[in-house]
Amino acid sequence: MADVSLRGVTKRWSSFVAVDDVTLSIADREFVVFLGPSGCGKTTTMRMIAGLEDPTAGEIRIGPRVVNDLEPKDRDVAMVFQNYGLYPNLSVYENIRFPLKVRKVDKASHDRRVRRAADLVELGPLLDRRPRELSGGQRQRVALARAIVREPEIFLMDEPLSNLDAKLRVSTRAHLKNLHHELKVTTIYVTHDQVEAMTLADRIVVMNKGRIQQVGTPTDIYDDPSNTFVAGFIGSPAMNLMQGEIAGGVFTGAAVRIAGLTTRATGPVTLGFRCEDAAVAAPDGAEIAAPIYSVELLGDATMVTVRAGGALATVRTTKTFRAEIGDPVGFAVRPETCFLFDRQTGERIR
Amino acid sequence: MKTRTLLWFVAPSVALMLVFIALPLASVFWQSFFVTRTLFQEVTVESCQPGFLTQTCTTELRSQPILRDGKPVTERVFVGWENYRLVMRPDALVAAFSPGGGGWADVRQIDFWRALRFTLTFTLVTLPLVIGLGLVIALALNTAIASLRGPIIFVSLLPFIITPVVGALSIRWLFIGDGILTAALRWLTGENVIMFAQGWTIEVLLLTYRVWHVAPFAFIVFYAALQTVNQDTLESAVVDGASRFERLRYVILPHLAPFMVFVALIHLMDAYRVFDEIVGFSAQAHHISLQWLTYSLLMPDGSGSRAIGRASASSMLTMIGIVALLIPLLVRTWRDHHQKG
Repeated sequence: MADVSLRGVTKRWSSFVAVDDVTLSIADREFVVFLGPSGCGKTTTMRMIAGLEDPTAGEIRIGPRVVNDLEPKDRDVAMVFQNYGLYPNLSVYENIRFPLKVRKVDKASHDRRVRRAADLVELGPLLDRRPRELSGGQRQRVALARAIVREPEIFLMDEPLSNLDAKLRVSTRAHLKNLHHELKVTTIYVTHDQVEAMTLADRIVVMNKGRIQQVGTPTDIYDDPSNTFVAGFIGSPAMNLMQGEIAGGVFTGAAVRIAGLTTRATGPVTLGFRCEDAAVAAPDGAEIAAPIYSVELLGDATMVTVRAGGALATVRTTKTFRAEIGDPVGFAVRPETCFLFDRQTGERIR
Repeated sequence: MKTRTLLWFVAPSVALMLVFIALPLASVFWQSFFVTRTLFQEVTVESCQPGFLTQTCTTELRSQPILRDGKPVTERVFVGWENYRLVMRPDALVAAFSPGGGGWADVRQIDFWRALRFTLTFTLVTLPLVIGLGLVIALALNTAIASLRGPIIFVSLLPFIITPVVGALSIRWLFIGDGILTAALRWLTGENVIMFAQGWTIEVLLLTYRVWHVAPFAFIVFYAALQTVNQDTLESAVVDGASRFERLRYVILPHLAPFMVFVALIHLMDAYRVFDEIVGFSAQAHHISLQWLTYSLLMPDGSGSRAIGRASASSMLTMIGIVALLIPLLVRTWRDHHQKG
């Protein structure tokens, strides 16, 4: 078991900066998710922790040791890859046993440890099969068992659920959550799927363009975004962000006027609110009044979208709501549910 | 794709293969059971010598080819397995290993067995060397820095680009007889240096030449295959703690196995028909191959006739040899394919 700390970690390929001055502490037994869009540097950061990439600058510590110059095998980490990374010519049993074999672990313990790891991921009956005879979900469980068998200090998981279909992803996700509870091993998990991040993480590290945007619990990240990138990336749909001017606690923009905001800021700002924090109302007297842009029926709710403040704004309402595109509609937005961001930097104005 | 559509697509190539491969093969097989003989006739020739009073005349019976329009008349006779017997000489083989026989020394006097011995040695010794050398170059290149790869690939491919006969000749001009290096060594040492004058040295040269010539083919196939190794698997092995050798053994070599089978198949077919090197190095005095045996049987003899029947038998035997060598590899490929399917 170990904590991980990154200090000023940077990765550059000639002029391209993949990871830019990342500083982060991960506590022992914590489940941390690196979340961000493709190319944000989350996988590169994980690969540097694994030792598969060398940082251009900065220091990586696992436990008390600086591991920058250690080979991946000497860092006592286990990694699960998106494409499983199984050995196609070895049986499931031999795949799981492989780390024990190459690390010359006492042979007498192999069978017990392999079977225990296989049982943890419910692979018991499949031990004699070859990877090609398994489904995607089963293959990913073999990869998990291979990571578990060695009892490493840290698990690294690089988008392990991305190749699975939606249904399997949900069940495997639950499986992962349970495994972490059972094994209590520090886990770093990379994904671009915010649902995975929200459901699995103790803490989420949101990354963009090689930099950390925000670190916090899923609730922090959702309820208290520190900039427009996090606000616009987390949530489905993401936070409504609209452009306008603020003066005397009143935000005004195209088809929008929200009064009673407790801020001393003035000038151009970005205002954000979540779709579930506003309600559909009569156009007269509503904070936002505009013709309907689209109506999407989700089954349990209806999403109503209008164009306001130079962007599309969506509100979640009852499943029985019916209206036509172009009908006038109002959104009642409570000022205490609104977030203000600097128009230039995107940073939160508190 | 529907079977019917597929059949239409493959029909032209099947037709061409029938006309240009299957039919000639069947024809060769058929001809191997015949002997083409020149027909002779007995003629009584009276030759007279002028004498003092009378001339002296003698009559003799001579055998001479029957001519028609100035050309000897021939006939084709069905002889069954006789051609195969003449090529393989089972009687001489039995005699060689009978009490009082000369054993292997006698067997080496029979062209077919001599050619078979050399052909098999040539094929089976060069095979692992070609695969091994190709693999080593491919692995080395794969770890070389990117800017060096292009030039290395070009230089490595050169031996494969050169026509075998030209390559063999250039080596011959270097080492054999008054070759450049031989002459230089003579000049330097003052000794009479003769390189590759003994049978075994020529054999080593022939083998080395083939390995040098074909290894680039193996290398380029393996190098291409190395680009398709699953990087996740390779990196898994790195994190799992596998050494460089263990990664080679458990990840890279299993991935390359089908490509090795492919190279082995091509090389077996090619090496078993070794011919160019024998000609290029003029090695026929020491070693002949099965293909060379067929060629020499096809060459017209003093009377202008060619042993087409025996040549056909010899080429059929060559083909049977190739098929026998390929069977284990084909079975393996089929089994792999069957398992995956």
